[in-house]
Amino acid sequence: MRRPTKTCPFCETRVRFIDYKDDRTLGRFITDHGKILPSRLSGVCARHQRQLSTAIKRARYLAIIPYIRGTQG
Amino acid sequence: MTRQYEAVYVFDSTLEDAAINEKLGRFHDLLGNPGDLQLNHWGRRQLAYPIGRREAGYYVVARFGAETTTLPEYERAIKLDDGIVRHLITLFEHEVGAPPMSEEELALANRRRDVDEDEDEE
Repeated sequence: MRRPTKTCPFCETRVRFIDYKDDRTLGRFITDHGKILPSRLSGVCARHQRQLSTAIKRARYLAIIPYIRGTQG
Repeated sequence: MTRQYEAVYVFDSTLEDAAINEKLGRFHDLLGNPGDLQLNHWGRRQLAYPIGRREAGYYVVARFGAETTTLPEYERAIKLDDGIVRHLITLFEHEVGAPPMSEEELALANRRRDVDEDEDEE
């Protein structure tokens, strides 16, 4: 059985470089707890997943997106 | 050598706008006032997590071309400044709004993905 193929959302929209300042886009690729979503769940290709993880880490440092979420304190 | 940079400054939100502009002017003087300087003020914004006692910050994004030799002095001034909560200087060699991938590049990416999938097929 062949699984339905997931396509990379960044490749589909022909994104060349992922912007670390774009909190809306980055927000789609983090879990409820603020972890980076694995590419096997999101379908992001390897190249964009590498860019995405750098972008998320930069955005976290600048307090654009949280390091952790959904916990007390 | 001149390179393109992008800097994001997060100022203390209690600072006056005039004080922020004065600081920005001072930092960019250290770079020799680049002619291609683009400033984008995001303004006051809620921080995603508290930094010290601060809950909000004033975000400014700057893009400029600068000599690599002027950068250490500029970064030192930013680090020493108490009004700045966070800062990030990144190389901006690739334009975010760069031309999107061409047909060939997309086809290549798709082909690579297909190959990957075939490999982990059971």
